[in-house]
Amino acid sequence: MADPAADRARVEEMIARVALQDRAAFSDLYDATCGKLFAVCLRVSGRRQDAEDAMQDAYVKVWRNAGRYAVTGHSPMTWLITIARNTAIDRLRARRDHDDLGDVDGTLAAPGATPEQAAVATSEAERIRDCMNALPEDRRAAISGAYLEGQTYADLATRFDVPLNTMRTWLRRGLIALRECLAR
Amino acid sequence: MMDELAEDDDLTAAELALGLLEGDALSEARARVGREPAFARALVAWEARLSHMAQDLAAEDPPAAAKAALMARLFPEPAPVPLWRRAWPWQLASVAAIAVASLLFFTTGPTPQEGPLYTAEIAAEAGDFRVVALVDKSRDEVILTRTLGAAPEGRILQVWAHGPGEPAQSVGLWPAGESVRLPLPTEIAAVEGVLTLGVSEEPPGGSTTGSPSGRVFGTVEIPGVTAAR
Repeated sequence: MADPAADRARVEEMIARVALQDRAAFSDLYDATCGKLFAVCLRVSGRRQDAEDAMQDAYVKVWRNAGRYAVTGHSPMTWLITIARNTAIDRLRARRDHDDLGDVDGTLAAPGATPEQAAVATSEAERIRDCMNALPEDRRAAISGAYLEGQTYADLATRFDVPLNTMRTWLRRGLIALRECLAR
Repeated sequence: MMDELAEDDDLTAAELALGLLEGDALSEARARVGREPAFARALVAWEARLSHMAQDLAAEDPPAAAKAALMARLFPEPAPVPLWRRAWPWQLASVAAIAVASLLFFTTGPTPQEGPLYTAEIAAEAGDFRVVALVDKSRDEVILTRTLGAAPEGRILQVWAHGPGEPAQSVGLWPAGESVRLPLPTEIAAVEGVLTLGVSEEPPGGSTTGSPSGRVFGTVEIPGVTAAR
C-alpha cells in the first residue's frame, strides 16, 4: 500500500484481465481485495457466515460484470466496495424481512474501523472521516446507519424517535453538508 | 457536474446510492440512471463519496474456505455442452453469420469441433455488439467479422486471447472495417484445450497497459482446440 497510484493501476489491470475471463487474474484480484471486501460485508452483515455468503455473491458479480467496469467511471476499489456493500445490504434486508423483527440491533455490532486500525486509510478516506465528524452527531449516525447498516427512513425515524419526514429532512441536510465539506 | 442537476435531483441520487428509496421512487430513480447521463454521474459521485466510509474499515481476512467455495461455484468441472445449446446463438445471428455457420457445420461436422477450423460468437450481454470468430489452426490465424455494433467514435477494437489458466494477451488491433484477419501470437497458437477470445474497445493504437483499458464487449470459450496436424 506504499503507492496508492500503483495499487490502483494494479487492481485496474486485474479487473481488465478478469473481463477477459482470465481466471488467474480473478484469483489475484480476489487475493488483493478480499480483506477489504470481507470487512465491508462483515460490517454490514454483522455475522461471519452471512458476510462470507455476501462476499461470494459480490465476487460472482465482479466476475460477470468486469467488462463494464471501465464505463462506470469509478476507481477500482470504489467499484468493488460499492458492489460488496450493495450485495451485503440486499442480503441483510432479505434476512430482516425473513426474520421479521428478529434481533436486528443485536447482530449489528460488527467490528468497525477505529482511527487506530485505519492507519493506512487514503487521504480521501481521511477527508470523508473529517467531514463526517464535522456533521452533527445524529446526522452522521443517520448517514452511516443507511450506508453501513442498510437502515431505511422508517428504521431511522424509529431509532431517532422523530417523524419520517423530519428524518428525511435531517438526512438530506446532512448529505448537503457532507457534499459541501468534501468539495472544499 | 453538480450544477447540471438540480439540488433535489442530486439528493435523490444520494438516496439511491444509500438504498433509501422505495417503491415507485426507487423504480423511477433506477430508470433515470439509464436515461439521464447527469443523473448517472451524480449517482457515481455519491457512490464514490460514500464508499470512503467503507474504505476506512480495517481489512479482515476471510477464511481460506471462502475462496475455494467461490472458485468451485464459478468454475465447476466442465460438463459436455449439448449440441443444441452450442448451436442456438447461430439462430440469432445475422444471415451472413448463419451462412458461415452452415458452411462450417458441413466442413467441420457437429460438436465437438475438430480442427483445423473452430467457430465461435462473441456477443455483448447488453445486446449491442456481436462478432463471429473463425480460428484457423492450419494457418494459426483468427478471422473476425462484426455482425452487430462497432467501436465508439474515435476508438478502435482490440482482440484478446488466452489459454486455460494462462494470462490474457493481445492478439492484435482491429482499427476499422467489417472484418479482420490476425495471426495468432506464438503463445496463443500453442494453446491446447479451451481457447478464450475477447474483444474490447480501445484508443487508436490500442491499449497501452497490456490489458484492456476500455469496455470489454464479451468473451467466448472455444473448447477442444488442438494444434494443427
